[in-house]
Amino acid sequence: MSSWYQTNGPQDDIAVSSRIRLARNLSGIPFPARMTNLERAKLNAKVKKAIMESNTPFAKSLKYIDMRDVPETQKYAMVERHIISPEFAKLKDESAVILSSDESISIMIGEEDHIRIQVITSGLQLSEAYDVAERIDSLLHGSLQFAFDSNLGFLTECPTNLGTGLRASVMLHLPALENSGEIGELSSSIAKIGFTVRGMYGEGSKSAAALYQVSNQVTLGLSEKNALENLNIITTQLMEKELESRKKIDTISLEDICFRALATLKNARILSSSEMMQLISRVKLGQSMGILKIDALPIKVLVEAQPFMLMQKYGILEPKDRDIYRANMVREAFG
Amino acid sequence: MLCEKCGKNHATTHIKTVVNGIVREYNLCENCAKAFSYSGNTLTGVLASMFGDITNISSTVEQKQCPVCRSSFADIAKSGKAGCTECYKTFYNELLPYLKRVHGSTKHVGKIPNSAPLMARPKTETVEDLRAKLSQLVAAENYEQAAIVRDKIKEMEAASNE
Ligand SMILES: [Zn+2]
Ligand SMILES: [Zn+2]
Repeated sequence: MSSWYQTNGPQDDIAVSSRIRLARNLSGIPFPARMTNLERAKLNAKVKKAIMESNTPFAKSLKYIDMRDVPETQKYAMVERHIISPEFAKLKDESAVILSSDESISIMIGEEDHIRIQVITSGLQLSEAYDVAERIDSLLHGSLQFAFDSNLGFLTECPTNLGTGLRASVMLHLPALENSGEIGELSSSIAKIGFTVRGMYGEGSKSAAALYQVSNQVTLGLSEKNALENLNIITTQLMEKELESRKKIDTISLEDICFRALATLKNARILSSSEMMQLISRVKLGQSMGILKIDALPIKVLVEAQPFMLMQKYGILEPKDRDIYRANMVREAFG
Repeated sequence: MLCEKCGKNHATTHIKTVVNGIVREYNLCENCAKAFSYSGNTLTGVLASMFGDITNISSTVEQKQCPVCRSSFADIAKSGKAGCTECYKTFYNELLPYLKRVHGSTKHVGKIPNSAPLMARPKTETVEDLRAKLSQLVAAENYEQAAIVRDKIKEMEAASNE
């Protein structure tokens, strides 16, 4: 079975992945930030029992992983695959994750909230991902009884997640909007209606590969259905804007950029992470516009060429060696 | 429902905005929704700093503590985070204005645990379901509804015999 980045999904020429996260908590114990290690261990066991002994068919595809048994390199490789959050990887305390074999479902125990259910898919599939998360939520609630208030909804550590506890996001590839500078203006108007846009795989808000994540902010007073519908609309609009912006670039310059990027990826002997991402972004653009006829999945290569993913695959590598291994791997992928 | 803006097309989009803590909901068609989200000039920020000022909290609030995690309101305001789920009960009234500022609402809408999932597609009723409904309606002497259900059963049976 394959992960989100290893397969094609609906509209993935621009919408790379969709992600749903539900924040859930139990009553009577503090939130994870204030829990003792003993309380954390008990929580892990409780959630493990609730899901692994639930006798539902899909529980068979799930694996319980004690995070203290996971080496650092593998933890950060999981972050690079978007399976766990960077905050969760940093934890030194008792914590665990329940993972499906295709890594589409990950249930983090002891992150900011007691339980965070995440479902990630390729392409634009928000409602499909939500349906899966919702089923897991109901299954867990059956035995755990999540803290819920009729006015405030699901209770969460951070008041910004109260209500549905739902954070839905779509990762979009927006090279033309980034290049034209339109993305800044669009981000601020989107922020005004309760959504955020931020760069992925990069420093600060700038993205190294023109990948941007759009997600909802408001969780109280807005149903899951409406939040997802609104996000879908905004996503569709951004995709349309991106396509419009792409049409404005003159063909010969575009072809030049795309073919040069592919040529470098096919021939480089040393490739830094940032150069790789910039070039793969251009190749993805060329592929989705029909300029480059290639079978490789650019996003798959991008994820697999991340530093910790390489270290996990080839053993601990010095940054200099890593750039050589990256170049080899990428050359083979596009070869 | 018709679109509030053009009054011509069917409203498919429900957009909610928060301006200075005032929530407005718009029911718009797809076209008007598009225009709306790009106009963006009359709206101000949704997520201002949540706990901007807690200078004027009363001394009774100051002394209050969550019975489960011992958090004070100042602890929550400083970190922007609750200590446990009980904190929300303990400081419910104090938190409301901040929640209003952040979400524009203080009333949950959406999934309620233990109830049928709100996102689930409507379950199609079987003939057996309808028969049970019919006998209930007859027992309750609700003949008008019963007649509708009876016709539905006939329809379904006719369809399955084709
Ligand atoms: Zn309209
Ligand atoms: Zn508390």
